[in-house]
Amino acid sequence: MRTATLVAALSVVLGSMSAVTGDQPKSKTHTVTIEGMRFQPEVLTVAPGDTVVWVNKDLVPHTATSKAGGFDSKDIQADKSWRYTIKTTGDFAYICTFHPTMKAMLRVKE
Amino acid sequence: MKVSVLVVAGLLLFPFSNVTAQEVNDAQIASIVVTANQVDIDAGKLAKSRSTNDEVKAFAELMITDHTSVNKSATDLVAKLKVSPQNNPTSQSLQAGGEKNLAHLRTLKGAAFDKAYVDHEVEYHQQVIDALDKILIPGATNGELKALLIKVRPAFVAHLEHAKRLQSSTGKEG
Repeated sequence: MRTATLVAALSVVLGSMSAVTGDQPKSKTHTVTIEGMRFQPEVLTVAPGDTVVWVNKDLVPHTATSKAGGFDSKDIQADKSWRYTIKTTGDFAYICTFHPTMKAMLRVKE
Repeated sequence: MKVSVLVVAGLLLFPFSNVTAQEVNDAQIASIVVTANQVDIDAGKLAKSRSTNDEVKAFAELMITDHTSVNKSATDLVAKLKVSPQNNPTSQSLQAGGEKNLAHLRTLKGAAFDKAYVDHEVEYHQQVIDALDKILIPGATNGELKALLIKVRPAFVAHLEHAKRLQSSTGKEG
């Protein structure tokens, strides 16, 4: 009885572990730094399911906005950040809606 | 008489022209930075309420937001460093130039207003960038103040670029 319970418990633990370490690639978190009125890196390549964090190190508010990619951070205040998990593949040009000189690209591919 | 009028006019147009990096101290630089930002916030407020062009209005709103943020960082730093901004001829002429610009803008409407506002923004940002490079950044002795000025510079460059684009698009208006 006791052994059976242990075996059952162990198989649950092992089962959940194999689900985590299975064939699925682990999703990553990438950082885009906004500094000196630029997105750095200007071109970032990620995989679907990855998360991108935009960190605003400038003194003024910015946005990371892509009409094609369907994402819009809205205001990211100075010293704040915004994270987004992107699911669809493609090349998504994005801008800061406040500062039209700020342009960058997010490439999402398998 | 004529000469002094010219000198005063020149000072209003180019408030930084007769100052060198060696002549300004940190307290004066703090005052210049705060005044320079405030002058552009005031012009932005007038343009936001008076312009009928959406792009000009958006730019004016951006100037209010960005220069308010910059001023907040500057006043926070100045408070932390326990420096009292010290009034000086450069901040006085910046202030006077700002008031003169507002008085002029208040006489205008429509496309003429937009043009005058945007033209002045181009000139103003160019002057501040020149002042940062020649006077303010080299003149700052405190490391944190110098770092703040260096950090602020790209925003002024982006604003100048933005204003120049507006200048060519609003120029087509009338």
